[in-house]
Amino acid sequence: MTNNAKTPYDDYLRATHRLGRIVSCVTLILLLGAPFLMGSYLGALPNLGAAARGFLAVGLVWTVSSVVEFLVYTPMLGAGGSYLAFITGNLINMKIPCAMNARDMVGAKSGTAENEIISTLSIAASSLVTILVLALGVLLLTPLRPVLSSPALQPAFNNVVPALFGAMAYMYYRKDIRLALIPLAVMAVLFTLLPSLTGSTSFMIIPSGALAIGLSWLKFRKEAKA
Amino acid sequence: MTVLDQLSSGTMYLICGAIVAFVAVVCVIFLVRAWRAGKAMGMDTARMKQAVTASVTFSILPSVGILLGVIALSGSLGIPWPWLRLSVIGALHYETQVAQAAAEQLGSTLSGDTMTADAFSTIALLMSVCIMWGMILISIFGKKYLARLSRGKENKAGSEKPSFADKAMTAMFIGMVSAYLGSYIGALISGEGRFTFRGDWTPLLVAAVAALAMAGFTALSEKKRMRWLDGFSIAASMLLGMAAAVLAHL
Repeated sequence: MTNNAKTPYDDYLRATHRLGRIVSCVTLILLLGAPFLMGSYLGALPNLGAAARGFLAVGLVWTVSSVVEFLVYTPMLGAGGSYLAFITGNLINMKIPCAMNARDMVGAKSGTAENEIISTLSIAASSLVTILVLALGVLLLTPLRPVLSSPALQPAFNNVVPALFGAMAYMYYRKDIRLALIPLAVMAVLFTLLPSLTGSTSFMIIPSGALAIGLSWLKFRKEAKA
Repeated sequence: MTVLDQLSSGTMYLICGAIVAFVAVVCVIFLVRAWRAGKAMGMDTARMKQAVTASVTFSILPSVGILLGVIALSGSLGIPWPWLRLSVIGALHYETQVAQAAAEQLGSTLSGDTMTADAFSTIALLMSVCIMWGMILISIFGKKYLARLSRGKENKAGSEKPSFADKAMTAMFIGMVSAYLGSYIGALISGEGRFTFRGDWTPLLVAAVAALAMAGFTALSEKKRMRWLDGFSIAASMLLGMAAAVLAHL
């Protein structure tokens, strides 16, 4: 099974790219169109100015993250697996380990036709399981909605973001706690001295991220020279 | 009818369900095509079946973890939209953070109490815009990138050697987390007047409980070899942190 020209595998790859581009394009239109459709149903279309400001605050971080994910994961997953993985999401927490597990199980190597087929099968099967589990879960959740929206539970739902960042803090700080303490201390001092910044926390990601990346770069250079 | 009722109405289920159904069909098409191509290339069907079975069993527990994420977001965004976002394209840590950023731009927070129709549609749009880049990049550059890699001209992406790109990604997320944790510390110390220490301490408590829970799950996963916990750790840590908020306000 080589990658030389004009094999059935080449035809499969060409068709996979064509199909992948079409379904990615349709998915994109659906996902961008849905907020407008839902907005017109709710009688409130999206505020484009606020969305643009939000994008400047956090979208750039995720854009860089998407580029890195594309560069790193595409070779692992092959064409079919990559199109599907980027459409269905949950890459790091599920699709990548799932595909790697399937690939290791059958002994396929990156860049081979076997890897292309196994990754696609794995990610398609994994995505279908998630879709099914979530659909069943949502069916069960619907009768629980009055409970979920009860006043007693509102403190929980008002603190989704702190809960996320608490969990993420452990995940990332443990990778380099000394690096983490400096931006944390700087941000704590800034928000203490200028409490009005609290309403613009997402904008503060930019200086905080720049500080952390700068410190990481200095450390990386120092280690490279050592 | 409250905004949360509208966000979980039949129309919203219909819109989101149609997109989920489309993506499910796409998955089936890719699965069938890959299976047929594998057979045509002479691959052992037993191995392909093994890959599918392993992937199905591998995905069940993490999918339940993702469902917990839907529960976490349902209090502020209703059920259908988090269901769509976490069934297709999204990831819990991403969705929550982007939703919060959009809410901030509207002078609000990610909360069921303060959610409005305007805020919701803007949050939904920003969530869609921020995470579409992977699909765009693979569509535009995927074919050429994979072709170059298969010619062996570019193998660095699969390298095991740590590069600054890995460290920069970690640093970027450290910066992001620090901005939010710093804001909770600042809000506690100066939220009700500079250095009065009378601000809201709940976010810090919730973050601390979630971090402790995450530490516990990580320890169990790494030291007790309970790797299956990995699929639950973020969502379960968040739910434990959120439960602490409920207990603190009893």
